[in-house]
Amino acid sequence: MSTEIEALGIDAGSTTTKMVGVTSSGRLAWHHLEPTDPQIEEQLRRFLEISRKEAGPAALPLVGTGYGRNLVQPADRRVTEITCHARGVFQEMGHGGTLIDIGGQDTKVILIDNRGSIVNFVMNDKCAAGTGRFLEVVANRLRIPLQGMGDVALSSREEESISSTCTVFAESEIVSLIARGHSTEHIVRGLHRSLVRRISALAKTAGLIPPVMLSGGVAQNAAVRDILSEELGQKVLLPRYPQLVGAYGAALIALGLPKTPQAEQRL
Amino acid sequence: MSALGSLRYHLNVSLLGNAYLRLDRMKLDRQMRQPGFWKDEHLSPPLRVSPWLKELITRHYLKGRHANDRFKVAWVTSGGPVEFLTALGYYVLYPENHGAMCGIRRVSEDLCGHAEAAGYSRDICSYARTDIGSVLSGKTPAGRLPKPDLLLCCTNICQTVLYWYQVLAHHFRVPLILIDTPFVYSEARDHDVAYVKKQLEHGVEVAEKTAGRSLGHKELKETTLRSKDAVELWKRIIETGRHRPSPITAFDEFIHMAPIVEMRGEPFTVDYYAAMLDELEERVAHDVGAVRNEKKRLLWDNLPIWYRVRQFSTLFAKQGVSLVASTYTNAWGELAEHIDPERPIESAAKVYMYPILNRGTGDKLRTIRRMVKEYQADGVILHSDRSCKPYSVGQMDQRRRLTDELHVPALLLEADHNDPRCFSEEQALNRLGAFMEVLEG
Amino acid sequence: MTESAGAALRIPGRREVLRSHKEKGGFVAAVFPIHYPRALLRAFGILPMEVWGPAGVNTTPGDAHLQAYTCNIIRNGLSFLLSGGLDEVDLILVPHGCDSLQGLGSVLLDFIKPRQQVLTLYLPRGDANDAGRAIGFFADEFRSLYKSLSAITGRKPSEPELLSFIAQEEAADQQRSVLFQQRLRLPLTDREFYRVLRSREFLPAEEFVRLAQETLQQKVETSHSGVPIVLSGIVPEPMEVLDAIWRAGGIVVGDDLLCSGRRLYPPGKDEDPFPRMAENILLAPPDSTRGSSVQERIEHLQKLCEDTSARGVLFYNVKFCEPELFYLPQIRKSLSGRGIRSVEMETDLSEHLPDQMMTRIEAFLEIFQ
Repeated sequence: MSTEIEALGIDAGSTTTKMVGVTSSGRLAWHHLEPTDPQIEEQLRRFLEISRKEAGPAALPLVGTGYGRNLVQPADRRVTEITCHARGVFQEMGHGGTLIDIGGQDTKVILIDNRGSIVNFVMNDKCAAGTGRFLEVVANRLRIPLQGMGDVALSSREEESISSTCTVFAESEIVSLIARGHSTEHIVRGLHRSLVRRISALAKTAGLIPPVMLSGGVAQNAAVRDILSEELGQKVLLPRYPQLVGAYGAALIALGLPKTPQAEQRL
Repeated sequence: MSALGSLRYHLNVSLLGNAYLRLDRMKLDRQMRQPGFWKDEHLSPPLRVSPWLKELITRHYLKGRHANDRFKVAWVTSGGPVEFLTALGYYVLYPENHGAMCGIRRVSEDLCGHAEAAGYSRDICSYARTDIGSVLSGKTPAGRLPKPDLLLCCTNICQTVLYWYQVLAHHFRVPLILIDTPFVYSEARDHDVAYVKKQLEHGVEVAEKTAGRSLGHKELKETTLRSKDAVELWKRIIETGRHRPSPITAFDEFIHMAPIVEMRGEPFTVDYYAAMLDELEERVAHDVGAVRNEKKRLLWDNLPIWYRVRQFSTLFAKQGVSLVASTYTNAWGELAEHIDPERPIESAAKVYMYPILNRGTGDKLRTIRRMVKEYQADGVILHSDRSCKPYSVGQMDQRRRLTDELHVPALLLEADHNDPRCFSEEQALNRLGAFMEVLEG
Repeated sequence: MTESAGAALRIPGRREVLRSHKEKGGFVAAVFPIHYPRALLRAFGILPMEVWGPAGVNTTPGDAHLQAYTCNIIRNGLSFLLSGGLDEVDLILVPHGCDSLQGLGSVLLDFIKPRQQVLTLYLPRGDANDAGRAIGFFADEFRSLYKSLSAITGRKPSEPELLSFIAQEEAADQQRSVLFQQRLRLPLTDREFYRVLRSREFLPAEEFVRLAQETLQQKVETSHSGVPIVLSGIVPEPMEVLDAIWRAGGIVVGDDLLCSGRRLYPPGKDEDPFPRMAENILLAPPDSTRGSSVQERIEHLQKLCEDTSARGVLFYNVKFCEPELFYLPQIRKSLSGRGIRSVEMETDLSEHLPDQMMTRIEAFLEIFQ
């Protein structure tokens, strides 16, 4: 149990739910992560239980963010993941830039200036082809574990060009390529290229303030990082815990909130 | 435009450029005459005038590269009343033709990407994105495009050009002449024509001011006469497609139409189409079909799919299918009779309201029906062009009436004229394959 | 946020207004977007009722005639007609506004041929100040419409009659201006405010004036707090978007919407009613569908932001709307250079606001909080 945690943030994403505890100086001291349960309210209750075990019974300020933020009943405030991601990455990296967050079901590009203020943001939340879902679907089709996709892509220098712009059509295209005897490694690298191209097109629409930073579950895929760096023509930086950026930002915002009676009631 | 600039132009274009192009054309002519030059068993060889076409287009863009040294430059929409600009000595550039060239050369996707990176939505016309992308990046397969001193936008093809040219006007900070042509839902009324005429007169004033000279009546009359001659020749060229077998396909027409759009009013355009017509009439006399084994004849509606023109040409030919006509290329021929060199501005007001895209959807169906009969078409392909709403809206009803009332097989083919990302190869080939089977059966 | 008094205002529904007008022996015209001469229709005893969508219509009937890459203004509108939504109207007017509206008008005339007569009207593009060409044409276009309406109704309103109807419409438009000016002191949520404003789309002018005056009487001393923003685009549908802005702590203080702010028609000067009606429309604020220059639109938006102290602009576009999409990059760049932030979003006029849209609105307003 740690008594140094002063504020909490929950990022209730569509794929994973994350919780972060920060110290009074804004340091990320503790976190917890689980795949998002369809019974989300139950899951959130459990998260709070776990946080009490970790941080003690005292009521702490809590900010909820993410797709399911409106379900985080006990939150003192709900803030969008855009604001939370910007806050979290700015605090950690110490500078502004372009944050690309590649989630399971959506992708966001957030432009942050040198004071941590959001200049612009764009989102792709209608089409799976530019999100983590794309890799998931094709990994499934190829019967490769999702976590291993990056390594498979990196193991190849050559790539098979995938022309389909749609995830569903890409699947058929893969089947066709395999039937024609093309190498799985080349195909997987080509798929990464496809994903990255869509992401970099989105990023360019938002404008690009260097440096480029990556967050979200897919950020852990080294092939995505490498190819994205290639496509954008610049280095891609990674925060220490790419998946926790949103929850971290939420916790920081919670830290800045005045103490309210509502926090007492949570017990 | 200095003396030095003029000299540079003469050197690069008139002397070196012309010489090079002439040699290149002679080389191509020679190549084409070699036995064994053409091996395709399904398609007849390209027309003998083809090297001349290449020379015309290449020279046009070569002139463009150095045009700012010598001429006032105008960027014009494809349906624009260009005659008074040509008569005033402007070099005219057509962003749409340039866009089509980029589509054919497979660079339009990259150029669209540049426009999109600057914030232009993928839901706007792919010609506009190609053009804006080229302007912003400076990239063009033509080497270099001249900057405009003037823009001329005529809305007879669509309203999209209006917004597109406002964007260009803002970017280049040059005057924009707008010729707003009222849409002809059923017929053109007197006040429509009067309105267009007033705008043309105003347009002439603006163009004169920018050019720093007056429009000569004689020059305008001559340019208009040459336009009329060229358009009449084009009409007759298209009509050769009525012959069985057709000596030309719509795919060839898509390529050969460049001069009628971007070099209309020039004397060499008239000469070129006269030669082309001669060659086609020769083919007709000898029953030479563009598709060697013509079994079925089709009509194409809407813009071409530029990045697939060659592939489709081959694909269709392999199946003995000849695309004998299109409403797109026919749009130019239709205008011939209305052009009156004696009253160039007045007749232009009528002519430029008349293109098929400025007339109603019912009228287009009547045109398609008439062409199906005249060209003895076995079926119609309606390209549902995502980028071109004025051409595409109405196709669903047109298709239904063709199949249900006229019993003419008609296929709606979803694609985009210049953005390959909006084209699904698998789906398109499947649909075309099934359609060919319907034609057979 | 001040207490809302919006619930107290009684705004009759469209069906009620339609039936009431017909009971008095009048005709009703369903009018598609965008610009048209209200006074002319009223002079013939015709009440214009505008069709903006509506939101949430099942587009299956319209999809049989209009491809999926056309906007939902026309697809919803056509579907609404085909599912009987316009059965009680006597005629349909489809003004020319863009390629899609052009296509809708043409398809209605040539293929669908509804029971009601379909009339079209061409909108001249370009500068109204440019030697009056556009005004002259538009006046002729209205004279032509006059003839059609005369044939339909059997009436022939005189010039003085036309002028009095024009005065009535000018008065109603003037009220709209006043409502905008007093916005911050009206104890209404954004949604309630727009319900009042948008009733201009179907209420007779004289009733709108009454409603506007009733609304203005509710003025209070204290101004609304909240992040002031300008809303730009076509139409605030679904109206939930206004709730989302309100809930997220914003307030719409400036309007660059096609259905409202860009149709703040100024009073004309000409004593001939036909060019007078043309002046009203052509001298309205800059509008992409009328082919205004990019610079005009930039200057107008900048001034709007300055006059209302707006912190940012929310561009709320209907998907596939080319007139709006072309202008956005240059406008946004210019605004950004002036320190005015903006965000773009797209709607397909579905019945409810998707979560993704709410997130964008909240995220945008969070920037200023």
